[in-house]
Amino acid sequence: MEVQKEAQRIMTLSVWKMYHSRMQRGGLRLHRSLQLSLVMRSARELYLSAKVEAHESEVSLPPALPSDPRLHPPREAESTAETATPDGEHPSPEPMDTQEAPTAEETSACCAPRPAKVSRKRRSSSLSDGGDAGLVPSKKARLEEKEEEEGASSEAADRLQPPPAQAEGAFPNLARVLQRRFSGLLNCSPAAPPTAPPACEAKPACRPADSMLNVLVRAVVAF
Amino acid sequence: LKCTEKYIYYLSFQSKSDIISTVEFNHTGELLATGDKGGRVVIFQREQESKNQVHRRGEYNVYSTFQSHEPEFDYLKSLEIEEKINKIRWLPQQNAAYFLLSTNDKTVKLWKVSERDKRPEGYNLKDEEGRLRDPATITTLRVPVLRPMDLMVEATPRRVFANAHTYHINSISVNSDYETYMSADDLRINLWNFEITNQSFNIVDIKPANMEELTEVITAAEFHPHHCNTFVYSSSKGTIRLCDMRASALCDRHTKFFEEPEDPSNRSFFSEIISSISDVKFSHSGRYIMTRDYLTVKVWDLNMENRPIETYQVHDYLRSKLCSLYENDCIFDKFECVWNGSDSVIMTGSYNNFFRMFDRNTKRDVTLEASRENSKPRAILKPRKVCVGGKRRKDEISVDSLDFSKKILHTAWHPSENIIAVAATNNLYIFQDKVN
Repeated sequence: MEVQKEAQRIMTLSVWKMYHSRMQRGGLRLHRSLQLSLVMRSARELYLSAKVEAHESEVSLPPALPSDPRLHPPREAESTAETATPDGEHPSPEPMDTQEAPTAEETSACCAPRPAKVSRKRRSSSLSDGGDAGLVPSKKARLEEKEEEEGASSEAADRLQPPPAQAEGAFPNLARVLQRRFSGLLNCSPAAPPTAPPACEAKPACRPADSMLNVLVRAVVAF
Repeated sequence: LKCTEKYIYYLSFQSKSDIISTVEFNHTGELLATGDKGGRVVIFQREQESKNQVHRRGEYNVYSTFQSHEPEFDYLKSLEIEEKINKIRWLPQQNAAYFLLSTNDKTVKLWKVSERDKRPEGYNLKDEEGRLRDPATITTLRVPVLRPMDLMVEATPRRVFANAHTYHINSISVNSDYETYMSADDLRINLWNFEITNQSFNIVDIKPANMEELTEVITAAEFHPHHCNTFVYSSSKGTIRLCDMRASALCDRHTKFFEEPEDPSNRSFFSEIISSISDVKFSHSGRYIMTRDYLTVKVWDLNMENRPIETYQVHDYLRSKLCSLYENDCIFDKFECVWNGSDSVIMTGSYNNFFRMFDRNTKRDVTLEASRENSKPRAILKPRKVCVGGKRRKDEISVDSLDFSKKILHTAWHPSENIIAVAATNNLYIFQDKVN
């Protein structure tokens, strides 16, 4: 949980830094944007793996207890509702009839439809320490990426002409900017690094959506 | 050059200016140039040693100051171009004038710095103030003569090399042929001829066809000191590529690739960004290259690509503080590194106005501080020590007390003597070693 919180904090921080770097004199720095996106990606992977770990440990907790199938689903639904973000858009996860990690992040309303069944494969054990989270590729993510790809190109085309910073005035609406950026993030293709056309408009790392990012956007909107 | 075993230095000069962004001695060490955030270049000159004041051993005084770059606005991209001088590189002296290259993010300029100590007097058509005379009042003719005047040092821009970089220039390097030089930005390296400003030749291009596939950028580049066909460039992934311009016109394929396998025990959340190389320098001999990343300085032998021959820890106590350093942006600081004239000692900066020297032969190292409070002129610099936990001794400073706003990013070493220039934010310190 601590790991999740820390990863989330770093993601929020990175988003803020990325936004702030647009306002810098001299324009967006490609190297800095790349470094920020690397940290964001690592934080995201850490967050996801920590979340999966936490969930799996809950799921595998009582092997000795009588496994009443009627007992488990409501308990899981409860736990997923807790771990699910305080996000009104997400419908509460339906009780699963299998003991899988339902991962609330997949029920994002903004995303293209996800596969109904999540991969049942456990992640490799080397993910047990959060530091290695960045090392192991996410099989789940790859599966999602393929499906997102079709939706990506139209989004990318829209994102290619963002208005220059000056056109929005000295203090562009933070919420508007971040939502525009993150709606792209939530739907785009899986390339990790930022795109930076010569106009130096770097885009944040593109990964399939999860509810955590929605929370981030909402958290920033609150300000 | 005997290496200074005891690293005894004293402060000989200090000056205040805008935030200093680059420091460079010329090839003889007679001149020291600094560039600052405001686009200004200040050149210091070493006093000639005089018989009467032998103990002063030639101190540096301001020789010339000029505005090299002004802020500009790119209307096409709606971007402001900073006037901050990123790098200065001297050309070897070939006549009475001095030449240097200075660059900001987008434009490189060749400046000529020359002295004028005579002026013509006795014009026929204008008076001493330069006003035109009424021709009717001229009754005799005379030949103007040159008369001595107070020394004036003037800097004139001789060439402007513009519009060749889409991304931000991070390095310039003069070739040993003294006819060409290169400029490097995040994704491309261009080769210029000093005489031609409207064309440059692209020699490295790592821009991917699809920018979404970008994984690394160029962080520094330098020509080999003797072989005019060879240069190196470093990347944000901690790798160095050596290229030979004879191999092909576009040096996208390296001749040598230097990379150290990652130590899995050191892997952390911020591993990727602290491995980014911020500076690369050839040794004077041309046999070695030195690289600086966030926590270490490494020396590589050009003949061994799979790992460095030496690694020096600059401030390893920061390894556990990377998260805080990410929060305050310090983790993005780009430190430079320098060789001494004989390649026996290397130097680089750190925080709290500390800078470190590593003796490659004796394996000894020292931490010194550049601060007005702690170094009076002519007083010997006291070695400093950072306490990494446990009991802190009297003169030690604990990691948590370090001032991260006081960073030494830029240093320079005289080409033949033990004189160093250290830029501490907006102060320039010049230290000399003690003469016995």
